[in-house]
Amino acid sequence: MLLRVKYAKTPEGRFLSHLDMARTMERAFRRARLPLAFSEGFNPHPKFSFGSALAVGVTSEGEYLDIELREDLPVEEVRSRLEAALPPGLKLLEIKKLENRGESLTAQINMARYQLEIPLLQTVSREQLDEAIAAILAESAFTITRQGKKGPREVNIREGIFDLKGKVEDNIVLLEMDLQTGSEGNVKPDEVLQILRDKGNIPLAPIVRIHRQGLFIRKDDRIKTPMEEE
Amino acid sequence: MNQLRQVLEAEILPKVIKPLRYVGNEHNVVKKNWDTVKLRTLFAFPDLYEVGMSHLGLRILYHLVNEQPDYLMERTFAPWTDMEKELRERNIPLFGLESCRPLRDYDCIGFTLQYEMSYTNILNMLDLGGIPLKAEERDDSYPLIMAGGPCAYNPEPLADFFDFFVIGEGEEVILEIFELITRHREARQGCQEKKVLLKELAQIQGVYVPAFYEPLYGEDGKLREIKVKESGVAPRIVKRVVKDLDEAYFPDKPLVPYMEVVHDRIMLEVLRGCSRGCRFCQAGMIYRPVRERSKEVLSSQAEKLVESTGYNEISLTSLSTSDYTCIEPLLRELLDKYQKESIGVSLPSLRVDSFSMNLAQEVQRVRRTGLTFAPEAGTQRLRDVINKGVTEENLIKVATTAFEAGWSQIKLYFMIGLPTETFEDIEGIAILAKKVLDIGLNITRSQGRHKSPKVTISVSSFVPKAHTPFQWEAQDKLELLKEKQQFLKSKISDKRITYNYHDASLSLLEAVFAKGDRRMGRVLEEAWRQGCKFDSWSEHFRFAAWMQVFEKLGIKVEDIANVPFSYDDVLPWDHIDMGVTKKYLWLEREKAYQTATTGDCRFQHCTVCGICQDLDVAMILRKGGKADVAAR
Repeated sequence: MLLRVKYAKTPEGRFLSHLDMARTMERAFRRARLPLAFSEGFNPHPKFSFGSALAVGVTSEGEYLDIELREDLPVEEVRSRLEAALPPGLKLLEIKKLENRGESLTAQINMARYQLEIPLLQTVSREQLDEAIAAILAESAFTITRQGKKGPREVNIREGIFDLKGKVEDNIVLLEMDLQTGSEGNVKPDEVLQILRDKGNIPLAPIVRIHRQGLFIRKDDRIKTPMEEE
Repeated sequence: MNQLRQVLEAEILPKVIKPLRYVGNEHNVVKKNWDTVKLRTLFAFPDLYEVGMSHLGLRILYHLVNEQPDYLMERTFAPWTDMEKELRERNIPLFGLESCRPLRDYDCIGFTLQYEMSYTNILNMLDLGGIPLKAEERDDSYPLIMAGGPCAYNPEPLADFFDFFVIGEGEEVILEIFELITRHREARQGCQEKKVLLKELAQIQGVYVPAFYEPLYGEDGKLREIKVKESGVAPRIVKRVVKDLDEAYFPDKPLVPYMEVVHDRIMLEVLRGCSRGCRFCQAGMIYRPVRERSKEVLSSQAEKLVESTGYNEISLTSLSTSDYTCIEPLLRELLDKYQKESIGVSLPSLRVDSFSMNLAQEVQRVRRTGLTFAPEAGTQRLRDVINKGVTEENLIKVATTAFEAGWSQIKLYFMIGLPTETFEDIEGIAILAKKVLDIGLNITRSQGRHKSPKVTISVSSFVPKAHTPFQWEAQDKLELLKEKQQFLKSKISDKRITYNYHDASLSLLEAVFAKGDRRMGRVLEEAWRQGCKFDSWSEHFRFAAWMQVFEKLGIKVEDIANVPFSYDDVLPWDHIDMGVTKKYLWLEREKAYQTATTGDCRFQHCTVCGICQDLDVAMILRKGGKADVAAR
């Protein structure tokens, strides 16, 4: 049977890398005695398919994993067994049975929503922040330099910033941003912060708390979660 | 959340590589109430988290101690240099992972001594923890600093830094030690009188308090005597041994790291000790006698561990797993039982014989692993000298079976610089490697396989170790070792043979600390002051800095590593009694020079090494299900 799992990465688990994640999930499923389906070959591994990778250090309440089990089990049973077996850093949120093997999570997911908390190095008013954000969203292109395997390359990330909102509280900037992720392109929250610093002149501290609120499927102007879609 | 943890999580961890090294919180972690226990202890591993977490001893002691209601045991590891920088910049002390408390807060800190070249890390960790390095500089307010593990069998180079050492198997004695410390502190409102406490601890068999012993040196600079300074302290420290592995503690809910560690699997210890009697091997002497675990206990442990860890591999660990008398039925049972779940079984070391090869073939039913064998020397003569009971015929047979069964790579371990070695012996390594490769070529060709066979030879340099028949030997001079390495390189012409060799200058220092006496403490401290740490990591090993330290202190490194001991010499570890007698070791050394081999007491008569005679223990083999305890 095919299952889609939605889970959270808590502050305790935020330093797990994507590889650690796969290993940890496999062990949790094994401890839960859930009959994983394995690949063939000399080194069989479970048939896992994750949504887009989460950067090390980022918490999340909306990560996704598709898995295949060798047997059909009641979803409720899978939920309770897996819940008990997960380590402190991970939390099971939702689980559902997938009726057919549709497109992979990575092929479907194209948007990530982040919440950020960044201390200010100098005082900034709400108006100043609003202006900076409005100016950024009014631009038609932002070219940044990314370090790739073949050396630095220029990328325009403006198209990938779907939305950006912010406010100031106790000298801390709180931002919410919808960014492109997936096979069509990826924008990192850090890149948006850099624009705010450089172009918007907002004196953001280097210490940032980033939380991913969720991964979404954005079609035209409709936004759905992978739990709603199959 | 304490303040240290807050700073750590907000400022430090996002900046360092592999932050999980410093987080803890793994599955099966034990977090106890700091305020309600009577004794707070810390297990300190002087290397990275991923190395330390691969160590079975840590898991055994961690869970054993934490199962006691009155004690807690937490963990700390050597921080990598990026982390050290962050800590030092902020003046944050090294801490235990579970409670995030600085080292100073613990009552007792135990380091494990697995490898000589981790010694500088010990000093660095003490310093990072805000603890004075030398035992004599620490008053009653500091934690007791103890150490155990194989390198404790020559504790002298570290004697200045430790309050006491534990000689032998930790799970046998640790609770006795903690109980004594607890009672001592309870009688003194939670404080300790260190001198009194150490005297009490010295009464426990296996505990060595170096401050109670004084090495005396002759005018020629040679060690003359290790004098007992304190009344009522035994002149010789006798090791502690677990008598029956079936009765010994074994954790059934061990820690499961989030990040990948070196040995990331279930470790099922099938036996302890080895009586094959390789003359260079310290483990083969100090872990005697051979004690097997019964198959019933092992399969029940396996079941619990599979359930509690979720690992996908079970490693049957020991010094020589194919010697386990129930290995075939155990292996078959585990493979049959867990194959469906894709849980593989692995054998860490294989003897060079067809029996072991059959086991390897069984194993690959689930997961194929690499094949590694250790002939150790290139010619039959030298293999007889070191008492490695392996013949060329054995190796040829094993290689043939392996290539026929579909393996395309074989890895071989050798050593150079062994006593009596000639260049012919070294050339023998190249010849042997070529023979194995040719077997592979013939077989793959006749089978029409595309992948060409490969042979990797990994060559280390001989280091004379305490409590072995070769403890009196000199190490080859550095230049000679290098020459031998290059000579061997020149003898290997086939690209399908990969030749790896260890840094000989690291082996030289290893010999210095393996053979050295208490005077090496100064060298160690000075090297640490010059910034030496993580010496076993090639990116951090600074040989030139070490050599400057020797020069500065007026010590010739050659005098320690490259000069043999004579029969009459007092050895720095003579007061450490590990059961096998010095007389026996000398006899074995003599036989080595006569190219005479010694049999294994499991298959032949007793060799009277002294272990069963003197230590009130016995060999335990499990063949046939019931414990077959050798008659004493």
